[in-house]
Amino acid sequence: MSMQTDASLAPPPANDPALPRHRQLGLSDEQVLAALAGMQRVRNVDDRLWQLSRQGKAHFVITSAGHEAAQFGCAWAIRAGHDYSVPYYRDMALALALGQTSLDLLLHGMGKPTDPASGGRQMFGHFSSRALRIVSGSSSVGSHIVHAVGLALAFRITGEQDIAAITFFGEGATSEGAWHEGMTIAGVQQLPVVFVCENNGYAISVPAHREVPVRDVATKAAGYGMPGVIVDGTDIFAVYAAARTAMQRARSGEGPTLIECKLHRLRPHSNADDHSKYRPAAELTALAQHDPIDKLRDYAMQHGLLNVERWQAMQQQLKAEVDAATLAADQVPNPPLESLYDHLYGSAAEA
Amino acid sequence: MPVITYRQALNETLRQEMHRDPNVMLMGEEIGVFEGSYKVTAGLLQEFGAKRVLDTPIAEEGFVGMAAGAAMIGLRPVVEIMTINFSLLAIDQMVNHAAKIHYMFGGQAKVPMVLRTPGGGGVQLAATHSQNFEVWYAYVPGLKVVAPSTPHDARGLLRSAIRDDDPVVFLENLALYNTKGDVPDEADDGDYTIPIGKATIARAGSDLTLIAYSRMAVLAMDIARRLEAEEGLSIEVIDLRSLRPLDRPTIIESVKKTGRAVVIEEGWLTYGIGAEIAATIQEHAFDYLDAPVKRVAGVEVPLPYAKVLERAALPNDKHLIKAIREALYGTRS
Ligand SMILES: Cc1ncc(C[n+]2csc(CCOP(=O)(O)OP(=O)(O)O)c2C)c(N)n1
Ligand SMILES: [Mg+2]
Repeated sequence: MSMQTDASLAPPPANDPALPRHRQLGLSDEQVLAALAGMQRVRNVDDRLWQLSRQGKAHFVITSAGHEAAQFGCAWAIRAGHDYSVPYYRDMALALALGQTSLDLLLHGMGKPTDPASGGRQMFGHFSSRALRIVSGSSSVGSHIVHAVGLALAFRITGEQDIAAITFFGEGATSEGAWHEGMTIAGVQQLPVVFVCENNGYAISVPAHREVPVRDVATKAAGYGMPGVIVDGTDIFAVYAAARTAMQRARSGEGPTLIECKLHRLRPHSNADDHSKYRPAAELTALAQHDPIDKLRDYAMQHGLLNVERWQAMQQQLKAEVDAATLAADQVPNPPLESLYDHLYGSAAEA
Repeated sequence: MPVITYRQALNETLRQEMHRDPNVMLMGEEIGVFEGSYKVTAGLLQEFGAKRVLDTPIAEEGFVGMAAGAAMIGLRPVVEIMTINFSLLAIDQMVNHAAKIHYMFGGQAKVPMVLRTPGGGGVQLAATHSQNFEVWYAYVPGLKVVAPSTPHDARGLLRSAIRDDDPVVFLENLALYNTKGDVPDEADDGDYTIPIGKATIARAGSDLTLIAYSRMAVLAMDIARRLEAEEGLSIEVIDLRSLRPLDRPTIIESVKKTGRAVVIEEGWLTYGIGAEIAATIQEHAFDYLDAPVKRVAGVEVPLPYAKVLERAALPNDKHLIKAIREALYGTRS
């Protein structure tokens, strides 16, 4: 699996309305197919983690199903290893799109010492990679976005050029104090940071209208002196277009942007949740219509990038891949007890 | 005597207190429609309506501060925070506001609120979901902190906490919600309360005093029973129940009788409850001690996710038995 290349380095978009949407955005056929494969790959890991949790091998699972187009669309606008990404627990697909592997994610879920996110220390969903510039936060909802603001502030002093930070959160998180404080400072300082709200309509069991006093989270941006943009978060091209514009604005010193991706959480909040208890049956049935993988697959077929045989072959190969990764992860021994104190302090002389 | 779960004890007590006093109201995330992350508030929205059972957005500092505000004009808000880890987002409201308002404004306004929240680890949710911060609250004059370990005490202490005129932190524990225990018949003593600041001798004994609270009190009772059955040891178990005010006389009297003490807590050793208790014992019962006071506590790392590491970091029966043997027999164990 190669690192997702930044699509914003591609040739300038051809604004010819006769072209398919990806071509208008300057995306190649291969990039579209790679994203489709990546989205299916992460869905397979998602499936596998739920299975492993039932077998007692992965204790905690939190899904990204339904959020893949939003996360892959943003990843196209991020230069992994250059820009900084500050995700939240829902962003498994982002971690993979930025260059983490199925094996990395499975090791993380199974708490293995070679888990690149935390060495088996943090519960699943706290993605992290120094090389990919993925910055992990705590578990307190909304508290990580201020780190992205801090990174953006630091660029002024580190002198890094043409760089932005991008952070992700749910609509429920936009009620937290830290969210408002981070947005305020980013707006006052006009920092190079992009805020991406993955609005799936629920904060665990609570519907968005009882969490957020306005219909669109994007309208909150006005209070912080930055533009707010609404996109269909199941449409990878719409997300990419918005994220690319926002990242370019940030990198060129024009300040922060809030992007709201409207999408659907296809599965329960976590493996400790049962969403049939609070989501109407009709809504659950209709979820199948909002699967971003189906949407991109259909697009690829319509535009001749893919046919049924090739899609089936792709799926088979991806299935074999997740099986192999599961086997490999399962064979890694648990962390040794002597490692309990490792990393407690960063300084050489530990207390 | 009916047998109920810890969860039922809390749920029934909230219901009874809401019937008894129209000023009692509940606030928190997912406590209404969803009936609470751990179902402690089941049925209460239906019974009392949305005015008195408020589902809040994810805004801990906001609604804990709101509770303090509402309490100043006589309401008795009972706030639920999903886990004690997230109470840290609201700690300014507890420590700089709720704890101080009565004192710093010369007694003009009381703050009769309760903050209910589960602490502790052991279910592989890693550090940021598994901590023990009751000690931080217990450090603060102006707050009261209670930590019951049985359905009986949960009921009696929740009543006292709600009826108390000061802010009370009420510590629960994920591993305790399904535990069962006796409570008195409604007919006999339907409205009993347990005074805040009073420990209980959960088990009398003469060889050693074992001091604990919350989930560790359950472990302490198990071990005391086991060591009696297997080795004929007579261990007195003190369940503190309240961390502030701390019932020093009960601890001191017990240690004067047994001459030996072990304290166990799930949180970290340094500056923990054990430190306060060991200091109390040496100040007031030094001459009665036959051995140094032993402390058992969590390993001083953020609790890891991997099961093997988590298990190694939490205090368990082996650690406790080792400490008991050291207190009884010195290092000859
Ligand atoms: C400070 C804090 N409060 C509560 C929680 C418990 N919690 C975890 S996820 C969540 C819902 C968040 O919803 P949203 O921001 O919409 O993100 P989503 O899970 O829908 O992607 C809550 C309340 C937490 N982790 N941190
Ligand atoms: Mg949400």
